[in-house]
Amino acid sequence: MSEFIYFAICFAALALCLIYRLIRGPHSADRVVAADAIDTLVDMALILFALYTGRSIFLDIALVTAILGFIGSVLISRYLEGKL
Amino acid sequence: MRIVIDILICLSILFAFAGVVGMIRMPDSFMRMHSSTNITTFGVLGVLIGGILYSIIYLKDISMAIKLAALIVFYLVTSPIAAHAIGRAAYRSKTPKSPNTIVDKYGEDLEDE
Amino acid sequence: MKKTTPAAFFGTLIACYIFWLLITGQIVSIFTGNASWQILVAGGIVSIIVSLFAARFFIHKKAFHLYNPLRFLLLLFYCIVIFGWELIKANVYMAVRAFGSTKKLKPGFVKIPTRLKSDYALAMLSNCITLTPSNITVDVAEQDGENYLYVHWIDVKEKDDMEKAGDSIKGAMEPWIRRIWE
Repeated sequence: MSEFIYFAICFAALALCLIYRLIRGPHSADRVVAADAIDTLVDMALILFALYTGRSIFLDIALVTAILGFIGSVLISRYLEGKL
Repeated sequence: MRIVIDILICLSILFAFAGVVGMIRMPDSFMRMHSSTNITTFGVLGVLIGGILYSIIYLKDISMAIKLAALIVFYLVTSPIAAHAIGRAAYRSKTPKSPNTIVDKYGEDLEDE
Repeated sequence: MKKTTPAAFFGTLIACYIFWLLITGQIVSIFTGNASWQILVAGGIVSIIVSLFAARFFIHKKAFHLYNPLRFLLLLFYCIVIFGWELIKANVYMAVRAFGSTKKLKPGFVKIPTRLKSDYALAMLSNCITLTPSNITVDVAEQDGENYLYVHWIDVKEKDDMEKAGDSIKGAMEPWIRRIWE
C-alpha cells in the first residue's frame, strides 16, 4: 500500500532533475521538450497518489494536466514555426 | 499479484530514469527529443497498466480502471503529435544540429523549393 | 475547407458520446442500472455541439470505416501485439544508448518512401514511427504521386539506399496499417 508513495517520490525527483534542462537548455525547443516531460512525470506521480488514496478525483486532475500540456507544447511549436 | 504490479512500476521508473539521463547527456536538441519519447511511452505504460491491475483486483473499482485505460489511449494519441510539431518547429527555426550529423535529406529538399 | 456531411456528423457524434461515457464512468452505471439521466443528457448536448464544429476536421470520407467490428479487432490486435513488440525493442535500444557513449552516435535526416495512400494511414504510420524511440517523423511530402516521409534517425545505418532505410525503420508496421485502413 504505502510503496506507491515512494514510487511517486521517485517520479517527482526525476522531474526535479529535468529542471536543469529547463533552465540551462540552449534553445527554446529544448525548454519545450523538457516542460512536456516534466508534465508527464508529475502526471505519473499524481496517478500513483490516486492509487494510494483510492479516490478517482485525482485521475481527472491528471487528465486535465495532460490535455493542457499537450495544447501548450503544440501552441509553442506553432509559434516557433512562425504560423501564429 | 502485488509483486507483478510493483515490478511493472519499477520497470517504468527505470525507463523514465533512462530518459531523464538521456535528456541531460545528449549533445543536440533532436537527440534529446528521442529520450523524451522514451519517457512518454514506457514511463507511462508501466504505471498505467499496473494501476489498471491494482484498481481491478484490490480496489474493485471498474470505473477507475476505465479512466486509466482512457489515459493510455490519450497519451498514445497525443504524445507523437506534440513530438512531431516540436521537431518540425525546431528544424524550421534553425536550431543548430550536432556536428556528427552525417546526412540531411530534409535540408537539401527544403533548399530546392 | 470541406462541408460537414451528415455521415461525418453522426460518426463523430458516436465517438464523442462513447468517450463521454468512458470518462464520466457512466458505462458501468448503465450495466448496474443506476445511471443518472442528467449526466447522459448533458453528454448528448455537449457531443452534439462538439461534433457540429469538429466533424469536418476529423472525417473526410467513409465515416463508418472503423465501426466495422472485424476491423476494430484488427486495430486492437495491431496495437497490442505488433506495435507492442516494436515498442519494447525500441525502448530497450534507446535506454542502452542513453547510458552509453553519446559521441559515437551518428544522427541524420533520412527520406523513406511509403506506399500508403489514404490520409489516416499516413498519419497513423508517422505517429507509430514517432512513438517508437530512436525515430521522429519531421515532415511528409508528395512527389510525382508517391508519398515520402522525412525521419530523424538517431544512428543512421543506411545513408543512401532509401528502400533499405525504409525497411529498417518501418519494420512490420506498414502492411498491417494498410490492412486496417485500405
